[in-house]
Amino acid sequence: MADTTFWTGSQHYLCDPALAQSFHIARTLGMPLLIEGEPGTGKTELPIQYARDLGLDLFIYPTGSKSNVDQFVGRFDHVKYLRDSQIEILNAQRSEKGLDASLHTSGRNTENLSDYVIKGPCAQAYESANSVLLIDEIDKAPREFPNDLLYALSHRKLVMPESGDVIEVSEENMPAIIITSNREQELPTAFKGRCIYHYIHFPDADTMQKIVSKHHPKIEDKVVDRAIDIFYHLRNIGLDRAPTTRELLNWLKYIKDTSSEAAIEKIEKLEGLGALVKTQADLEKVQRRVLGDSEDYFRRSTPN
Amino acid sequence: MFTRLPAYFKDFGLDVDVRALLVMQRAFQKGLIKTLGDIYNVLKGIIVKDPMHMGPFTKAYYSYFMNIEIGERESLEDAILRSEYFRKWRDDQIDRFGDDAEDETWVHRFLDQAHLTQYDIKEVLDGRDIWDKDSGDVEDENWDALHEEAIEKRLEKMADYSDLSLEELLERMQQVREQQKGRHSGGSHWIGQAGISPYGFGGAAKDGIRVGGHGGGKMARRVLQDEKYFPVDRDAILNDTNVDAALSSLKGVIQESSTEYLDVKQTIQQGLKRGGLFIPELKYETDQQLRVILLIDNGGYSMDPYIRQVQLLFRKMKTRFAHDLETYYFHNTIYDRVYEDAQRRKAISIERVLEKDKAYHVFIIGDAAMASYELSKTSMNTYRALCQHFTKICWLNPELERYWKHTFTIMVIKELVPMFTLTPNGIEKAVVHMNRKLKSANEI
Repeated sequence: MADTTFWTGSQHYLCDPALAQSFHIARTLGMPLLIEGEPGTGKTELPIQYARDLGLDLFIYPTGSKSNVDQFVGRFDHVKYLRDSQIEILNAQRSEKGLDASLHTSGRNTENLSDYVIKGPCAQAYESANSVLLIDEIDKAPREFPNDLLYALSHRKLVMPESGDVIEVSEENMPAIIITSNREQELPTAFKGRCIYHYIHFPDADTMQKIVSKHHPKIEDKVVDRAIDIFYHLRNIGLDRAPTTRELLNWLKYIKDTSSEAAIEKIEKLEGLGALVKTQADLEKVQRRVLGDSEDYFRRSTPN
Repeated sequence: MFTRLPAYFKDFGLDVDVRALLVMQRAFQKGLIKTLGDIYNVLKGIIVKDPMHMGPFTKAYYSYFMNIEIGERESLEDAILRSEYFRKWRDDQIDRFGDDAEDETWVHRFLDQAHLTQYDIKEVLDGRDIWDKDSGDVEDENWDALHEEAIEKRLEKMADYSDLSLEELLERMQQVREQQKGRHSGGSHWIGQAGISPYGFGGAAKDGIRVGGHGGGKMARRVLQDEKYFPVDRDAILNDTNVDAALSSLKGVIQESSTEYLDVKQTIQQGLKRGGLFIPELKYETDQQLRVILLIDNGGYSMDPYIRQVQLLFRKMKTRFAHDLETYYFHNTIYDRVYEDAQRRKAISIERVLEKDKAYHVFIIGDAAMASYELSKTSMNTYRALCQHFTKICWLNPELERYWKHTFTIMVIKELVPMFTLTPNGIEKAVVHMNRKLKSANEI
């Protein structure tokens, strides 16, 4: 039976109720869930934590600029096939001359084409009932990729290349499919139409506190409060690349080892700022605006 | 009844088709829709495909299902307060429980109930489970019993529509809609009594147990007051807010593909080295080409406001895709030269530009408005030559299209160079135009 129970997050992962509901709707309808949102808001974490929490198989397809649908579904390994068939000839020649076979095909048989099919994450997920399939950062893919994907995802049936093997999944065993995107490129309308869409909003301070306490339960509240204050302040001064949840968590990881007084001091001095702010221009801006380094600012802004 | 939904939502600028209805039907069969809040949730997942759609979607939803029309820049509270639907609901509530609250509280309650989902109900039920098990340990028996009774009452009134068919549910909704319209239908038999409301409008939470826990109402409120969620005007001349929309249209000019092909040369070479064992060598090729020439009219005050936007747009494009981008400037119209710098000191002849690879995309940006004598024969010939050499060329005009016919030079240049408005929509049309040209050239 497909798992259609309502999942609201685990011990290590705080799932936004709205996201949990969308995820439930998607699973119940057997449609992929497309999650968009700022980087570092936990898009990829959802399927990983969900699979871990419920002990389900997880298959990940990280998308890149060279992605194509063959890698995702399955491809035929022509190279191995050719090698093995050459080996067969070679071995036949050697045995004719009374020599031992020196090369092996490691159990593959050229008569059996299925031996040479390399199954992609999609085929693997379809084969193992009730699994989780993550297609990560689909916006990085070439433009045709999402459209090619449509066919694979909208039919519960895959045909493997060359061997013609059919992999079919029943509606009950349909994997939970999660697709994430950072919106670096617009996805085709037809593709979006076949997904349940959810946009992750940047968490507010209260939620952020809960998220932090899931990751760093040992840090004292007053330290977290101060860090979150500064974090949202940094987000609001209009940096080119505003810090995200992931960066806050990394920053706190750096800070947490000291006692809380020392930690607060560190936070106020913005020590380890490099964990939060990632470009030179932003660093300068933070130094000017937040640390109030006015002298430096004037020196820099005077034209030579 | 629901058949009108796609067209209705389309009027709010949302892309809704029949498939959305089919998905909704399926959601209903699977038991995903039991309250009005559920409908909001499911429809949101199906229809909203971009954070920009949230505003229009919420408006359309309130208008379609509750007859609450939210005006431009009006807050959700105000719209609800002045709506007939809300007034009837409140009267009904007051009849049953008495008037005990301010307007604001009523709106909160209304929102909580309108966005009540089965998840919320389930949470209450689960909560009760825990309660039942723990009740022995609770000291104050009386307090406990009181609340349990209250929850019982509450849950009874909570509508569960799993037994109703979609048609029946819709019929009820339609009835409510009709009643809203008729003046003298009388509030007394407004659907929503005795726990049969298809909207999950049970008794108000007088007993202190609030349900609408997941904040659908909060979200809706935030959406409508947040400018970010209003749709970007794709027909407005390029400005700071729609430059990203323009950028995404512009991305269409990138030709991009990823193919795997047999590297014949490599296969032969490697095969010979292996002494005749030919193993196919595969090669991936990602082909991403974007080469752009930008010709900007930066003379005259008429163009000043737009230059910064145009540069911002193309600079963003350049940093995002890191490709070849060349910018040249001209004054009013192009004669035999363009300039490499914005001050127009370093001239290069138009022949030099024409020597460039014809695969370049050429955008000419200018208002094309000048005194008619300025558009000389030389200038017109230049445009002809440009169009002949660069097949992917277009003119982007910051003047709105409806004013074009009043300017003679625009009408002339429009005949020579395909012209579009400098808006996200215009740019999209320009890109489609450029790509189409490319295709037909390939076919020949």
